[in-house]
Amino acid sequence: MIRLQNVRKVFNADKSNEFVAIEGVNLSIDSHGATVLKGPSGSGKTTLLSILGCMARPTSGRIMLKEREITSLPERFLTEVRRETFGIVFQQFNLIKGITALENVMLPAYPNGEKHASLKKRAMDLLDLLNLTGKAFSKVEWLSGGEAQRIAIARALINNPAIIIADEPTAHLDTRLSREFMEIMRQLKKEGKTLLIASHDPIVYDSTVIDRIVEMRDGKIESSGDVP
Amino acid sequence: MLQRKSDLFFSALVAGALLICLMFMDAAISQRLDREFVQERREVVRVLTLTDLCLFTEARYTRHPSMADLHTPFQDHPLSFDHFPSGAIMAVPPHLKRKAGTLQGWISDPRERQ
Amino acid sequence: MGAIEKQRNILDFTLSSLGRRKGKNIALVVVYTFVIFLLASVLFFTHSLKKEASLILQDAPEMTVQRLLAGRQDLIPTHYIDTIRQIRGVQSVAPRLWGYYYDAMSGANYTLMVNAELNDRAGEIIIGNGVSMRSMSGIGNQALRKNDIIPFKTYDGSVLTLKVRGLLPFASELVTADLILVSEADFRTLFSIANDQATDLVLNVRNAKELSTIAAKITQIHPDTRPILREEILRTYDAVFDWRGGVIFMVLSGVFFAFIILAWDKATGLSAEEKREIGILKAIGWETSDILLMKFWEGSAVSIAAFFMGIFLAYLHIFLASSILFEPVLKGWSVLYPSFRLTPYISVYQIATLFFLTVIPYTVVTIVPSWRSATIDPDSVMRM
Repeated sequence: MIRLQNVRKVFNADKSNEFVAIEGVNLSIDSHGATVLKGPSGSGKTTLLSILGCMARPTSGRIMLKEREITSLPERFLTEVRRETFGIVFQQFNLIKGITALENVMLPAYPNGEKHASLKKRAMDLLDLLNLTGKAFSKVEWLSGGEAQRIAIARALINNPAIIIADEPTAHLDTRLSREFMEIMRQLKKEGKTLLIASHDPIVYDSTVIDRIVEMRDGKIESSGDVP
Repeated sequence: MLQRKSDLFFSALVAGALLICLMFMDAAISQRLDREFVQERREVVRVLTLTDLCLFTEARYTRHPSMADLHTPFQDHPLSFDHFPSGAIMAVPPHLKRKAGTLQGWISDPRERQ
Repeated sequence: MGAIEKQRNILDFTLSSLGRRKGKNIALVVVYTFVIFLLASVLFFTHSLKKEASLILQDAPEMTVQRLLAGRQDLIPTHYIDTIRQIRGVQSVAPRLWGYYYDAMSGANYTLMVNAELNDRAGEIIIGNGVSMRSMSGIGNQALRKNDIIPFKTYDGSVLTLKVRGLLPFASELVTADLILVSEADFRTLFSIANDQATDLVLNVRNAKELSTIAAKITQIHPDTRPILREEILRTYDAVFDWRGGVIFMVLSGVFFAFIILAWDKATGLSAEEKREIGILKAIGWETSDILLMKFWEGSAVSIAAFFMGIFLAYLHIFLASSILFEPVLKGWSVLYPSFRLTPYISVYQIATLFFLTVIPYTVVTIVPSWRSATIDPDSVMRM
């Protein structure tokens, strides 16, 4: 589904603090699988994840999404591709404070111009699915960590994306909530979503949900193999 | 069900626009009602041969600006200050700024004089 | 349909977002409303006054002729009347006798004017409403009434007592508040003005188109005179509160610019929190243009709300509350001030002017600086 060819990403190019985040990455991600990017912090997982999720452009190399070259798309189209294809769950949840959980879930769909009533219904359905109906009109800062995480998942799902990207999703959760998160992931995988998770948490990469582990170190892929 | 915030905003917008319309209506009605008073003032101006509005009574040149000289505020001394507050918010009548002795402003085209 | 729905969605979020910093945003709207209120008040006041002046001074004398002596206006000899009457096209010439009388008791300046109706009723006066309110006789604060006696001090210090015959119409206060109409004989006694002199002359002409030619002829025959045309009087009142040049407007534009700078500063100095939010929105699929749209709605919502409220309050202030806030400025040092209710003359043009002078700059000033933060890379939140 996604193919990376010889991707390289450099930050602060041509400056004294130039920093190569990833180098020579070739990677192919298939549909309907669950892939974990594993590696210590600073290994380039997050950078690779943002390139896979069309949030950042590589310095060199090519990205193919469903056989379509997207590296050189203008911002507008790239944003559209990102919005339609990817749902993102951030490490810090990154919910917008001060507004309700429901509005947070609806946010990614606002630029689509979908009818408010139908959008709201879809958002409520998602909250229902994640057992959050009672929290729909609560401000997000009043939610517990687990609830915030599930709101973040609901937000990632609102545009019905094919691929869910999660960056260190369990970093701020205790063991119970981490396992709960993986159960939700299992559910999503069953529904046919492609999962891409960056994590160095054994609860994630040892989970039976995961099909494939890509190990990274110093911006390069060290090994990549299917989980037996 | 919560009403949409944008609906509230647009209703406020419509209300504001209506308020402005109301303002114009009130103005139109007041103008009609005041017509007879305006007529009365005009009549007083005509009968008494008045030339100015009685807005500022503090100084000669503020009471009758159109009858004043350009230098009236300074006639006691060329450097004396225009010390009446009203003199500061009023503009000088344009005809006083006409070049002294010339007839410009009266005669737009010199050829018309022949 | 989608486009409209998108706008409404983004507006929904903008309003929720504004609601979060309620205190700050309400304070902003209040200040902004006040600025627009002041600007609109000045505009409404000056415009209505100009309109009123142009309506009621339409019947002012067609031409007034003054005599200048050593750079000052001086009394005009009445024999000028005869020569001026000879000029072709002049229909009538009449002398005017008027001047100022300072009343030490009340500290007010009155305008004394001779009226022919009183000429066979020497010893009597007709007073304007403002005069009657300001007691000259020192009997306390009682308003002057018919048959009251008022003492005047003549040029040589003796006292001339005049009896109030009546009051000028209440509705004419805007032009007559400080007027005292006297007979010619009393006027000449008061100020010791010789019988062959007048304050100035007023004339009527047969054909208004000839006014300028006649004025030119008068200055030719009497080089020491200065004719003032009615058109010039009207123009005077057009310029009187020329709000571009007026001090009030200068002060207010200072206020407005300070406000714009505040808005600019607020828009450029986005807090880390706001920047993070923009990053989040970009990461979850908002485009740069969507962020700018949000900023546009933010600026518009604040300024349109302030605009409507400011304009409406200004209308109430000027036309229903008699410009109560401007009173100290307009009064200046005047002891006598006409109380009048302005007829509301407002125009769409004025409202549009105000709109383009306030709402548009504010909105622009809030959008332009957000351009930079709107172009944040979507992956910036990932790196935080």
